[in-house]
Amino acid sequence: MADSNRTDPAKGNGLPAFIMGFVPGLLQWHLGQKQQAVTAFASCTAVLFLGWVVVGERLFYWGLGVPDGQSSFDNFAHLGLPVLPEVLNLPAQVAGALMAYDGSATGLRMQRLPRELEHIAGWVTAASGMLAAFWAAAGHWSLRLRRDGDGAAAAPVANPALCAGLSWLVPGLGHAKVGQKDKGALMGAAVVAVFALGLVFSSGHAVDRAQYGVWWIGQNLFGGGSLFAALVTGPMRSVETPIDLDLGIVLCTVAGLMNLVVMCDAYTIAERSVFPVPASGATNEEAVG
Amino acid sequence: MDLLFRVVIFVPVLFLVAVVVVAQQHSTAQETVKAASKRAARWLVWTAALLLAMTLLELLFIGF
Repeated sequence: MADSNRTDPAKGNGLPAFIMGFVPGLLQWHLGQKQQAVTAFASCTAVLFLGWVVVGERLFYWGLGVPDGQSSFDNFAHLGLPVLPEVLNLPAQVAGALMAYDGSATGLRMQRLPRELEHIAGWVTAASGMLAAFWAAAGHWSLRLRRDGDGAAAAPVANPALCAGLSWLVPGLGHAKVGQKDKGALMGAAVVAVFALGLVFSSGHAVDRAQYGVWWIGQNLFGGGSLFAALVTGPMRSVETPIDLDLGIVLCTVAGLMNLVVMCDAYTIAERSVFPVPASGATNEEAVG
Repeated sequence: MDLLFRVVIFVPVLFLVAVVVVAQQHSTAQETVKAASKRAARWLVWTAALLLAMTLLELLFIGF
């Protein structure tokens, strides 16, 4: 167990560490983990541009607002800032946006033009942002270990960031990794059931980045579900609007938000294998002592 | 009819959301299901109260 230096376990790593998390690998570099830092930066950048090759300017159309060539919103769009979750991979996203953004009438038209394989490519660019988030979580975990850990004794049952990442793809897999298999299966089944209900009610059209981009940000918190939709239901031709499309969109988004809780719980369980919660009634100081 | 259909969907989804929420305080599936049932029942009571309050407000300001 840890907390040998009597730091409050509830204390965060601070604002500078939070900001550093937006640059994949920077936290690892700061901690002296040079190889991991290079891997983090290279993997996030490669995944983003792998998808970008296909979607191109279309990515700007999937942001929190649509550039129109006139409003001040275009300044943010020019930097790629309103596009979530890609913005979590900040350097590659900004560099790519600066190179690719075209605010002319032709450029704006190109943003509105659907591409071949844009569903799967859109998922890949989003995955780069999620990957950056998990690398940042791994960096924060290493910072926490360095601050509060007890040297060799401080080894978690599994890396918390890895558990969160596994749960993003398959809800409950992170729990299985830390040994809570039945609870993980139950939580995973709950997320998948709500997501599946959403797809059924919307005849498969609820998860579509090109059509419902803002809702998709929440739906993508269940990465396995949004991947399934990108591969199977997304490319399906829409003949008519399903009568319960609104219900389907909400259910799929709720499933994504439920999976955010699952990811946080998987991270927390792995974290608590090293930093247990103080017994009720005991102060942090007592628990540490 | 449409409202009834949505209420029928709402109840199991509420239970599934409760499963994920209460699971954070438990370590086994059995404990989680038991606690989620209680939590979902409590949320249903709150939902009914909210619906009643909204219906009363509607009657008060809009009428029959």
